[in-house]
Amino acid sequence: MTPPLKQTLEIPVADGEAERYSLRMGPQHPATHGVLRVDLELDGETIIECKPQVGYLHRGFEKLAENRTYSQALILTDRLDYIAAMANNVGYCLAVEKLLAISVPLRAQYIRTLVCEMSRLCSHLLWLATHALDIGAMTVFLYCFREREILLDLFEELCGARLTFSYPRIGGVRQDVTSYFIDELQRFLDIFPSRIAEYETLIDTNRIWLKRTVGVGVVSGDQALALGLTGACLRGSGVDYDLRKHQPYDAYDQVEFEVPLGSDGDIYARYRCRMEEMHQSVHIIQQCIDQLPPGPIIGLDAPDLVMPNKVPARIEAGSSTYGTGLIRLIRDRDLYLSGDIYVATEVPKGELGFYFISDGNNRPYRMHIRSPSFIHIGALATIAKGEMLADLIANIGSLDVVLGESDR
Amino acid sequence: MQIQYKPKRGLLATIFQAEILQGMALTLKRLFSKPITRQYPEEKPQIRTGFRGQHALVRDPKTGKSKCVGCMRCAMVCPSRCIRIRSHKDKEPGSRRVIDDYQIESLRCVYCGYCEEVCPVNAIVLTEFYEYGSYDRRSLYFTMEQLLGNWDRFAAQLDRPVEEYVNPFWRPRGLPEQTLPAPKRLPVSPEWSGEQQVVGRKWRQHHGPEQS
Repeated sequence: MTPPLKQTLEIPVADGEAERYSLRMGPQHPATHGVLRVDLELDGETIIECKPQVGYLHRGFEKLAENRTYSQALILTDRLDYIAAMANNVGYCLAVEKLLAISVPLRAQYIRTLVCEMSRLCSHLLWLATHALDIGAMTVFLYCFREREILLDLFEELCGARLTFSYPRIGGVRQDVTSYFIDELQRFLDIFPSRIAEYETLIDTNRIWLKRTVGVGVVSGDQALALGLTGACLRGSGVDYDLRKHQPYDAYDQVEFEVPLGSDGDIYARYRCRMEEMHQSVHIIQQCIDQLPPGPIIGLDAPDLVMPNKVPARIEAGSSTYGTGLIRLIRDRDLYLSGDIYVATEVPKGELGFYFISDGNNRPYRMHIRSPSFIHIGALATIAKGEMLADLIANIGSLDVVLGESDR
Repeated sequence: MQIQYKPKRGLLATIFQAEILQGMALTLKRLFSKPITRQYPEEKPQIRTGFRGQHALVRDPKTGKSKCVGCMRCAMVCPSRCIRIRSHKDKEPGSRRVIDDYQIESLRCVYCGYCEEVCPVNAIVLTEFYEYGSYDRRSLYFTMEQLLGNWDRFAAQLDRPVEEYVNPFWRPRGLPEQTLPAPKRLPVSPEWSGEQQVVGRKWRQHHGPEQS
């Protein structure tokens, strides 16, 4: 028999008093919203150093897109921020449309704005649910999922999928809205503000919620800009930056809405910003329904799905209506222009940018995605430093990161 | 717009924990209303037409075979490249292409629905059937017979005649008929075909009824 191993544990003691140790949080931790790993250096319960590690969900979308045509690469964007896939799809389509100089019909623009805001509601509802669950409010979680279910059912009615929509198309959208869809959406809009009031009753003034959020994770406006924060995280710090307002795309310049701004830059300010954004989203969707114009849902010069290098079949077929001039125009034009372009859109998490380099081929030479989650995770190191370990969970939730988008 | 927060709490509200009692009252109220939870395996959700589920090859009621003509459009457009088609053409002139095998690797499929949208003869469809998980990969690698069987099973549980079934991806809602190949011009409601569009209330007020 071998003698039992004698082992002495060496406990590192810093400055003779407090106990310093390192802790790996994640990647299988339920409060990291996926597979985020955070390497922590702790002094008791205080975080001395925080190093977020990403890459557990890397699927190489930027490389995959180089081997696919522009229409085929659209389905990859569903899997970025899978909570608000519609917003990613629209951002991608806008970038390609600008690259190929394709115009979008007005009706398609309105439908896109409408579904973008619906996915913003989806995303914010899931954020509120999980963020509240992380901090310890269980009821809000179930209430939020109740409303999210209605929205997912509506998406299913519209495009046949509940999560990976692939609904917008380069140059328009795939399916027209139905009167059933509009009626159901109107019914949802009528009840939803009262449901937001329910969430607010539960947590808005709750003393436990206030203790966990007010004054925690404070980011000043200058600091937020330096860290590259966007979306509600930046607006919570009082910086007025919203691409929907300042660089309007689709039908955002046709609708009225306000950009909610906080001032303290703590978790509570970001929470209030997102709650106000939900009210504004309802307002935008209502206006889109009211102003929805008739007309085509896809542009005439949108590239064909199968043969993107050829003149679209719908132009050939409709030549009697549109005249041969348009066909000649498109035949003469290079369908794919070379050059590079960066187009950013305001997705629920922040600023999502697509950068394309095109060499005139029907597939991107290089695609880069500027994803808000990746940059927010980078900012976590600065925000969480010097705070308590328990507040790290609240901070991760408040930055609203999705690892599918961060690792892409 | 500056948001308002940090509501002040009065002394009485602090002592009697008014905000916590309000929350409790809300949850108590839910106790007496109808539950919204669905007991899934026993209670099935209602699936909308056009849900992208299990793959199937449509069986032509006239010939009893697949409608596929082997044009390879679906295999070309598939972003995950999970469709494999083998076909041959007889030597004699004027003969049609014969499909030997049509395989779909459903584990690789991303359910985007591009294949059914580009198919000129509506031969392939993503049916509304979604419960087909399996313990082995072999059974999820659909061959032509399995795909035709999928269609038969789907057609049997359909509540209307198979001839009347139109998938929204066969004939996209709102696309004008002249832009579609002839077999895709299926009879649909005027709202579906785009002749009668849903128009916003304010738009109608602005532009008058004659244009809408």
